[in-house]
Amino acid sequence: MVSVEDLNVIFGKKHIVHDVSFSVKKGEIIGMFGISGAGKTTVIRVLTCQIEKKNWNGTVSVTGLDPSKKANHSKILSNIGYVPQLELLNLYFELTPMVNVEVFTSTYGMDKKEAKKTAEKLFKILDIPKDTWKKRVKKMSGGEKKRLSMAIGLIHSPDVLFLDEPTTGVDASRRYDVLSYLKKLNQQLNTTMFIITHDLEAALICDKTAILREGRLLEFDTPQNLISSLPSNGLVARISIENLNQKIINVIQGYPSIKKVLRVGNETIEVLMDQFDENLPKFMKFLFEKEYKVISMSRDIANFRRYFQIRIQEEETKEKVQTQIELINNGGPQYQN
Amino acid sequence: MSRINLKNWRCDKINRRESQDKKRSFKLKNGLVRLLKQIKKEFRLLWTDKFNMFIALIVPPLVILALGLTSGNPRATVQPINCVVVSYDSNVFIDENNFTESTLDDYNLKYVEAVNASNLLNLVQFFNATEEIYAMETARNLLTAKQIKVIISIPVDFSELIEWGYPGLIDCVTDSSDIQKIQVSLNAVYDSIKIFVFQNNLSPQFKIKGYEEFSIPEGYSFSYNYMIVLVLSFMIIGVGMVSTILIVVQEKPVARLLLTPVKRLEILTAKYLTYISILIIQNLSLISTALAFGLYLVGSFLDLFLALFILGFTGLTLGIFISSVSKTKTQANQLFLATFLVLILLSGIFIPIEAMPIYLQVIAYILPLSHGSPLINSIITKGRSVFGFDFFALLGVSLILVGLSYIIFQRRKYEV
Repeated sequence: MVSVEDLNVIFGKKHIVHDVSFSVKKGEIIGMFGISGAGKTTVIRVLTCQIEKKNWNGTVSVTGLDPSKKANHSKILSNIGYVPQLELLNLYFELTPMVNVEVFTSTYGMDKKEAKKTAEKLFKILDIPKDTWKKRVKKMSGGEKKRLSMAIGLIHSPDVLFLDEPTTGVDASRRYDVLSYLKKLNQQLNTTMFIITHDLEAALICDKTAILREGRLLEFDTPQNLISSLPSNGLVARISIENLNQKIINVIQGYPSIKKVLRVGNETIEVLMDQFDENLPKFMKFLFEKEYKVISMSRDIANFRRYFQIRIQEEETKEKVQTQIELINNGGPQYQN
Repeated sequence: MSRINLKNWRCDKINRRESQDKKRSFKLKNGLVRLLKQIKKEFRLLWTDKFNMFIALIVPPLVILALGLTSGNPRATVQPINCVVVSYDSNVFIDENNFTESTLDDYNLKYVEAVNASNLLNLVQFFNATEEIYAMETARNLLTAKQIKVIISIPVDFSELIEWGYPGLIDCVTDSSDIQKIQVSLNAVYDSIKIFVFQNNLSPQFKIKGYEEFSIPEGYSFSYNYMIVLVLSFMIIGVGMVSTILIVVQEKPVARLLLTPVKRLEILTAKYLTYISILIIQNLSLISTALAFGLYLVGSFLDLFLALFILGFTGLTLGIFISSVSKTKTQANQLFLATFLVLILLSGIFIPIEAMPIYLQVIAYILPLSHGSPLINSIITKGRSVFGFDFFALLGVSLILVGLSYIIFQRRKYEV
């Protein structure tokens, strides 16, 4: 459905995206994760024909069409849907939801009756109350606007739907609702979805996740495979220690089987180790011997959030080491008298 | 064999051309449908913006209505010009040819009577300079104090020249601090001369030609007809600009619309067509209201309609241009204010264009109001055809603005 090979995006002297490659099958939900400036939106902009060919190179195919050819833009745009982060970019607040539907469907040359029928179907899936259908959008609640925005994105039954930060601005309790609506839409309509987000919880509904950092694709796989790639298949020990400090963490990091220590609370750490079942009792014994006051200990499987944190930390460490090596090779830091 | 191949090749070529034609007509049809739907959207958005609708359709006829109601009867509302007459006619006149002295002043008071008889002049004081040596100085003080607008000075040989059959001479000292009032003051003085000539049967010495050529006939309001040209020009261009300065800059979902097959060209064209139709309604309501309140229209209705249309269209294109250039609503509003001020100040309404420095004259001649106001005036008062230099100048300016708007809108950055 979508394939990207060696994508590089360059604006003037800025190299924004470096050699990104991935491919997506029909009906998959792809989560694109990364901190700000990672290049997520830039990749999506290439796929949605928003960046001129002179600024990117590589082989890209969206619904079987090449976005580098201007002649294909109209067809690609007919085959894709887009839900922006801000509803005000997607909806005419002064018009009713049904009129908004009409405005957007008319651009795809859809029949009015057909559009109305599709809209009603989508509104029902997304639980948009019937009494709001003929009211102005500005009178709808934030959640309703968000769902209406998704409906508009899907109104022409696109093959691929791009969603930019679908859970941003939605209160915590509603975030899962938004995600479950997306899953529901994906299951019922078999639409391929790209979710660009900071919200790592979105991985819950993703078939595949892409992690980007500074324009490079670090990982592209299912969340389960990524978590399983961690030591002991992602098993973690969550330990609370009284008066936890950096000195204690350094001691723990020095223990032979320990692979990773993550501070997840004021007095809580999560520990990843090799041969978890065998090494955990030995490690606990070590903590008691050191006379650290262990308040609690539980075992769990790492979630995507932890994986993301570990992966980004690894990259940061690699980068630091690389910088130090470069400094040493260049004769160390230069000081001025 | 080769003949069959050639035939097949020709058939292929014809088929290819036909399919290309079909594709092209399909694209065109789709484009037209999208354009119509965009126009429908524009009307819907306009309909929800009640304030804009009020400004575009209700305010202009309301202003004409207010003007019509307050103008009343023309001649009665004409404010006479305050003046003083300083006469030197009773002084001794020495004929340089034969050195004879003369103190003729028979026409002195007759002229003062004519001044009193004129509706356009209000005689504040009469000075006989023979008796009051500081007459002119006192008159100048009155002029400085803005108590009068003109000093009419009767020279020493006034009565003598008329008596001897020569053209009489009158000196006028007008308040030139208000450049617009100079002509009005002179017109008022001419009116007194006309009465003086008529009352004393002095033709042909004082024959005045063409003075009444384009005047407003009895029964029509002079001030209304004078003001309507300004009001119509300002209103049609101002409302055109006000109603369009935000239509591009405030429409945020355009960013998302551009991720559909709709083209930028279609979006902007839809805006133009929507507001052109509003302009047509505006024009019709403006002209009908103006006529209902006693506009003396010498030219044709169609000419006036076309003149207003082209001026309004220029305002509209200027508004859309400002909207396309601006990044925020505030920027658009500020740019509008600045542009409108320049438009008004350099339009030639307050300061005659000929009186401006040359570089300002160049700017003034590019601005639409400098052409719009004279164009409307010439149709209303002189019955001239709309198709003249001013019309084509406005057409040129608006077409340039349309072109620029398309280029800017095409390059405008939209990010979702």
